[in-house]
Amino acid sequence: MADNREVRSKKGLLQQLRFRTTVIILLVLVLGFGAIALRLLYLQLVQGPELQEKAVEQQLVDTKLSAKRGTIYDATGKILAQSATVWKVVLAPAYLEKEEQREYVAENLSKILDLDYDNMLEKTKQKSYYVIVKRKIESDERDALLKFIEKLEKKYPELSNVITLFDDYRRYYPYNDLASSVIGFTGSDDQGLEGVEFQYDKYLTGTPGRIITARNANQTDMPFQYEQNVEAKDGNNINLTIDETIQSIAEKYMKQGLKANDVRNRGVCIIMDVNTGGLLACASVDGYNLNKPYDLPKSAKDKISQLPEKKRPEAESAALGAMWRNKAIADTYYPGSVFKMCTASMALNEGTVSDGSTFTCGGSVTIYDHTIHCHELGGHGTQNLFQAITNSCNPAFIAIGQSLGPKKFYKYYQAFGFSEPTGIDLPGEADDQFFNEDGSMSETDLAVASFGQNFSITPIQMITACAAVANGGKVVQPYVVQSITDVDGNVIKTTENTVKRQVISEKVSKQMCDYLERNTTQGGSNNGYIAGYRVGGKTGTSEKLTTTDGTEDYISSFCGFAPADNPRVACLVFFDTPKGPNYYGSLVSAPVFVNVMSEVLPYLEVQAEYSDDEKQYVDTVAGSYVGLSVKKAKAQAKKDGFSVVVKGDGKKVVSQIPTAASKVPSGGNIVLYTDSQSRSEKVTVPNFVGSSVSTVKSLADSNNLNVSIIGASSSSGGISTSQSVPEGKKVDAGTVINVTFGGSSVVHD
Amino acid sequence: MLPFVQVMREADYNKLYDEKYNNSRQRRERRDSRRTRRSDSRDRRHPAQTKRARLKQRMFDRGMGLDLPFLLLVLVLLVIGMIMMFSASFPVAYYNLGDSYYYIKRQAIFAAIGLAAMILLSFFNYNKLHKVSALFIGISWVLLVVVLLVPGDVHRWFAIGNFNVQPSEIAKFSIIVFFAHWGSMYYDKMQYAKYSVLPGLVVFGVTAALLVLEPHFSGIVIIGILTVVMLYLGGMKVRYLVIGLIILFIAVLIAAVTGMLSYAMERMDGWGQALNYTSASDPEMWNTTWQTRNSLYAIGSGGLFGLGLGNSRQKFLYLPEPQNDFVFAIVCEEIGYIGALIILLIFALLVWRGITLSLRSKDRFGKLLGIGLSAQIGIQVVLNILVITDWLPNTGISLPFFSYGGSSLIMLLAQMGLILSISRTANIEKQ
Repeated sequence: MADNREVRSKKGLLQQLRFRTTVIILLVLVLGFGAIALRLLYLQLVQGPELQEKAVEQQLVDTKLSAKRGTIYDATGKILAQSATVWKVVLAPAYLEKEEQREYVAENLSKILDLDYDNMLEKTKQKSYYVIVKRKIESDERDALLKFIEKLEKKYPELSNVITLFDDYRRYYPYNDLASSVIGFTGSDDQGLEGVEFQYDKYLTGTPGRIITARNANQTDMPFQYEQNVEAKDGNNINLTIDETIQSIAEKYMKQGLKANDVRNRGVCIIMDVNTGGLLACASVDGYNLNKPYDLPKSAKDKISQLPEKKRPEAESAALGAMWRNKAIADTYYPGSVFKMCTASMALNEGTVSDGSTFTCGGSVTIYDHTIHCHELGGHGTQNLFQAITNSCNPAFIAIGQSLGPKKFYKYYQAFGFSEPTGIDLPGEADDQFFNEDGSMSETDLAVASFGQNFSITPIQMITACAAVANGGKVVQPYVVQSITDVDGNVIKTTENTVKRQVISEKVSKQMCDYLERNTTQGGSNNGYIAGYRVGGKTGTSEKLTTTDGTEDYISSFCGFAPADNPRVACLVFFDTPKGPNYYGSLVSAPVFVNVMSEVLPYLEVQAEYSDDEKQYVDTVAGSYVGLSVKKAKAQAKKDGFSVVVKGDGKKVVSQIPTAASKVPSGGNIVLYTDSQSRSEKVTVPNFVGSSVSTVKSLADSNNLNVSIIGASSSSGGISTSQSVPEGKKVDAGTVINVTFGGSSVVHD
Repeated sequence: MLPFVQVMREADYNKLYDEKYNNSRQRRERRDSRRTRRSDSRDRRHPAQTKRARLKQRMFDRGMGLDLPFLLLVLVLLVIGMIMMFSASFPVAYYNLGDSYYYIKRQAIFAAIGLAAMILLSFFNYNKLHKVSALFIGISWVLLVVVLLVPGDVHRWFAIGNFNVQPSEIAKFSIIVFFAHWGSMYYDKMQYAKYSVLPGLVVFGVTAALLVLEPHFSGIVIIGILTVVMLYLGGMKVRYLVIGLIILFIAVLIAAVTGMLSYAMERMDGWGQALNYTSASDPEMWNTTWQTRNSLYAIGSGGLFGLGLGNSRQKFLYLPEPQNDFVFAIVCEEIGYIGALIILLIFALLVWRGITLSLRSKDRFGKLLGIGLSAQIGIQVVLNILVITDWLPNTGISLPFFSYGGSSLIMLLAQMGLILSISRTANIEKQ
């Protein structure tokens, strides 16, 4: 029995052990291992990506490689903005373990890079592998630095990685202030801040390259290569519609105009291809030097230095903002009488007036209780539509406006594109300011709006509307970037010409071109006449409703196009607040327009056609007579249509004035020199101003000088208003002097 | 003293062992003699002869009764563990010690010593341990006192020459041996608290007290779990276990309140929240949870298939001491979830095989010892992975076969040798 019990208890014991072992197995292998397997499943597969991201974040060191910013070209391929390689100096002070090493590095770096020693020493004490010491160093500093690095490596071989030079880029603008408001400039991080540089920053920037290196927790390289390089992709190049030659011409004459008329608030000259909307020139003068965009002009600096200390930074940033401002698109103004070309177009298109309509001007009109005067206080009497335009008669245009009514007026205002930004690809385009937001206007508003007063538009809107009047009624979208090409020259983007809408019919456009062309021939250079070219245009003088120096402020503008029979380019000249002797558009802006277009149209190879009257004013090209015998040269020059003056006793011509290939008025004087002594003889320039064309010509003849007649038209007669070489100056015989003629009558609109 | 001697006599399986050895020798001789008579066809064998032959054949396959699958699993884990430990450790070895092979060289030496110990012990009659089980406890207590004399903040190991001895490893082993001995000796009295709870409290209490002084709280946890497992297997009533767990809970609560667990608590800080801190918001906790956080980064980086063997990035000084407790995080990063599961599976197979072969042991001491030693591996794997996955506080529990460490690897392989020794008796067919 006892044995049996023992056996049973032994069996029970074994069973108990088996059961308890099973429990342990379940606890450890099923519960325990199951839990860790699930935990790992969650961490590796569910939370995995998130954890991996964090791990990678701490493991990888990302070094940026600068991409070269794209080049900006003008329409003919001249470089307007370019990036050149400079270098960035980076220090890894964590390698510097001894005080003497730090001092040695700091002393040399501060000497080579012209930096403060104490500041430099502070930098060498940082526990970092990436401290920027100096940016954009040029090659001379780099050479010196490389020499020092070599020396340093010899002295402390373990410090070979302490100083690194990274490629960086600096922006250069070869033409300094040319087209500054269009091109814009870049900031310290190579980011575009103004103009095209800002607008097309995305394209110009390129993609910076990266060197991604795996680093251990001590930030040193891993023992094996674990590196991923992404090459920097250089930025795309931009080709502007702006032509450097045309832009230079525009800026040259705008600066002259600015000076001559004591203009206080800058000026604008826009030249636009009327059919595409591309801007050939867009000048806001004075511009600024793009290479030093933070240098204010001296006058502004003087003004700021007189201010109390506290107000200076604010004044300075305001002055900078004003200087950078692209006046052509960011400023609004009352278009004044220039707008009459639009009012007339609207009415002709609607048929509310016609070629034969007549208007009577008694010097003033009363709308409700407002009396609006015409600039011709005596009144223009009865006039037809063409005469109303030529006279720039306000009462006549009030009547034209009234014939349209406010609703139709506003409809056309919108259709011409005044109520919305033109969408030009430049930053900072301003909105117009119409009487009421919803486009409604009172009778008085309509009356003044008819002649372009009391509502504000941007110059770019005005020239776009003028282009529409000239090009057959199409409102185009203006632009400055023709195309974008990548580094290899592949075209990435081309600006398509966008015609937004047809605002007036082609017939009305033709009619308006005819009116505006006749307007210039009638008014001479005061109305934009250029001999040999068919030019259409309209002057404008608008009141600013502000005063400077106690006198009323005006805006003088001229907007025209050429050739009038088949318009190609439009040009708007606009001076803000001239305080010179004149403020009328006809006297301030029209001469600049004439000067600009006289050079631009030949450059654009617009064929000149002269009437018989005009031929006497036309310039021809002087031939080369140097090296010929006196006799032969005389015969040749006469054959070319010049009168000849021979100076000296030599047998052969040694030099000539005007020189070969230069422009000489037809029938002008060619002076041939046969020896070098005779070259020293000089002629004193007489006063050409205030005379008629024939007087000027005979005066030039008698002095052995040549005059180039600018702006005189057969129908207007005209009086000379300026000469390119001042009176009393000694010049070589045969020198060509430009004499500009004004019209006999001046429209004071 | 009397029952002890009696049990010794009853449980003296040396005879059996010798018998087995003699049998196998006889069989081998017989087989050798048969080889000379090859011409005999197998087909014409007598049924009884066939049974004997099969028996003989299996005995031969298992190589002197040694459990080949278990041995194979041990060797596989050892090889994988060493490869992974090398992969995880070479960057720290390179950067901190200037020699990429620093850890693997030493680990290889330890492994060689351990393997030798394992083979030796597999021939060793584990029943001899009965006599020395109490001595083992005594030795481990002495060593735990000795280690306290080593200067430093934390006294967990002391050096003998180039070799670091971690007394808690020895203590773990001693506890298993002692309670296996106790459970087999008093198999019929284990239901009494006097024979189960009391020795448990005394032995564990003294050991734990010494470990508190080190301090080595993870050691206490493991030794506590092992004590409970061994007493439970030995036949302790479950009710004592429940009461014990309640008391333990209260004790921990009190210890926590009185601040005795300050060291452990410091380590527990940020437990389960390693990802919630940022270097900016809480730099102190950011540093405290640094190791756990980077362990999680490593595990998460592995994904399903891992970054490839040797391709861990976290081992480049991001994860501190990747050769020690956190080696499995690098394993997860390099061979992914699939690889980690395979390794866990091999561990599970090892534990399973160890427990089942021990159950077949002819004596209770062998059963308890084998199950205890096998379960210890499983428990340590689970605790280690719970630590590196931030589900347990970072308390320093090594991963068997993987973590770097001389005394633990040698002890581990020696224990495997004991299990193999148990397998020799377990594989003897019932007569």
